[in-house]
Amino acid sequence: MSLILQGLALGVLTGGLYALLASGLSLYFGVMRVVMVAHPAFLFLAAYLTYTVHTAFGVDPFLALPVTVPVFFVLGVAVQRLLVARLAPDNLAMMSVLLTFGLALTIEGLLGTFYTGSYRSISMEYATRSLTVGGVSLPYDRIIAFAVAALTLGVLFAVLVKSRFGRALRATIQHPEAARLVGIPTERVAGYGFGVGLATAAVGGTVLALITPFFPASHWVWIGKLMAIIVVGGLGSVVGAALAAVLLGVVEGVVLVTVDATWATMMFYVFVFLTLLARPQGFFGGRLAHRF
Amino acid sequence: MRIASRGLPLLLAALAIAYPWLVPNYYLVYAGALTVMYAAMATSWNLLGGFTGYVSLGHSAFFGLGAYGTGLLVTRLGVPWVVALVVSAVLVTAFAAGVGVAAVRVRGASFVIVSIALVSMMNLVVQGWRSLTGGSTGLQVPSPFPGLHRGQTHMVFFYAFLALLALALLVWWYVSRSRFGAGLRAIREDEDKAESLGVPTGAYKVTAFCLSALFVALAGGLYALWFGSLDPIFVFSILIGSYMVLMSLLGGVRHLFGPLLGALIVAPAGEYFLIALGETQIHLTATGLVLVLVVLFMPDGILARLTRRRAGPSIPDQSADQRLQEVTP
Repeated sequence: MSLILQGLALGVLTGGLYALLASGLSLYFGVMRVVMVAHPAFLFLAAYLTYTVHTAFGVDPFLALPVTVPVFFVLGVAVQRLLVARLAPDNLAMMSVLLTFGLALTIEGLLGTFYTGSYRSISMEYATRSLTVGGVSLPYDRIIAFAVAALTLGVLFAVLVKSRFGRALRATIQHPEAARLVGIPTERVAGYGFGVGLATAAVGGTVLALITPFFPASHWVWIGKLMAIIVVGGLGSVVGAALAAVLLGVVEGVVLVTVDATWATMMFYVFVFLTLLARPQGFFGGRLAHRF
Repeated sequence: MRIASRGLPLLLAALAIAYPWLVPNYYLVYAGALTVMYAAMATSWNLLGGFTGYVSLGHSAFFGLGAYGTGLLVTRLGVPWVVALVVSAVLVTAFAAGVGVAAVRVRGASFVIVSIALVSMMNLVVQGWRSLTGGSTGLQVPSPFPGLHRGQTHMVFFYAFLALLALALLVWWYVSRSRFGAGLRAIREDEDKAESLGVPTGAYKVTAFCLSALFVALAGGLYALWFGSLDPIFVFSILIGSYMVLMSLLGGVRHLFGPLLGALIVAPAGEYFLIALGETQIHLTATGLVLVLVVLFMPDGILARLTRRRAGPSIPDQSADQRLQEVTP
């Protein structure tokens, strides 16, 4: 029983991180109807940059964020304005997947060339201990990851709901033509949406670097996991993605402690196929998801 | 014109058959066999991707399953290799039918995601099922021709892959002229309209999916017999799937010889990169950049560009002003 509890607790903590990592994907899909396969590759780019900052200057990995977040924001705007916006609109969904897939390969190749293929990790002294609550031990690194993810998601939601930019962004997501009619520069907003999405990847990458060892090809596993989350949640639904992230995180955690790691990862794909058979548009996807 | 369009493929076929006798060393025979294998796989990928517009990045799942199926049948059950090849391809096709029913329920980007999920899943299964597949250490398959040395084996498999390529091209050509092919094209142009006109879209899509999986599985089986050792990480890599997509897009998905042309460019380039740049990962970057460039600037492929230029645009390329001048007295 305590094993199940342990799995549940770890699952919730990991699920929070998944929610942050998947939120960027929901944003891209919302503003441009683009499935950004390169998102996990950018995550690991951020992880490697954090690693470089950490080893070169010996500072806390989170101090890399003031550098990586703006850089990734600009990168995101550039990716949208220079690449995605240039695709022909009639086959955007497919072509954007291939385009971002090409980007992912490019990044993986560069990471492999500069950092070699061996495992890297950042271990901080404070992250190695764990907190024990009622027989369940929670590693501090997971708690930190969850807290950072929750904080970032909170800021993201606040920006989306409260700010003028957030309103423009949501209008662009809901109905681009109507948004343009009322004077929203939808192209620029879409660019900033990409920037915000990639900025979440910068945060996520730093957190990932703290909790798990990584190597250039590790983004493939994450493509599968994150895509599974947004398919189960329903493409384009930020809330759906967050709920699916926690759900799949918990399922993964429980299977991980009761069966093994292979089956834990497998659960993501099992859920994808179950979702497709039961409800192809995802469990929280509405109008948007239906056509995709 | 007609002689040129009929004669050119015949000339190329003759060249392809003569190729192993024309090149100076066995390495080039090996590279040729690899290229023809990719050409056969890209052509079979195009049975789905070209006709229906459903882009699958996960066709390496069928390649790997075909390879492992053949390898396991030969090593565990001692089945003759021809039987193993055919049985495993049929099994993979049946599996593809099951997957296809779920996968083609979603369109566009979701379908791509599902195809990526499929290959990741198969990779996990094969690596995890250690007792059957040997896990991540791989599977050793005995050579079907123990009497031949390495170079002669390359030659045999060059012709085997060439036969497979011919078969895939023939099937593509046949489908493209059939009612079935017209239905698939209708799905690509507008699936909802096609369905409302009575095209059995679901059945057609699953059939195309299976047909395309069948030939990729055969290529995988031949690969297993040829290489003799299977590495799950390579065989089930998304990279192989993306090669099929890249080759088809580069050559032109709407043309019979498009994927073949793409393979003739991409596969030798890949081999060259491997030799020139060695064991670094920079060849991934090269592949990625080429894919980005093709998607941005030539999504219809080389052949589409060439043929359009030769035939001339169907609507003359002129400004509205010029056209207005023609109609005003």
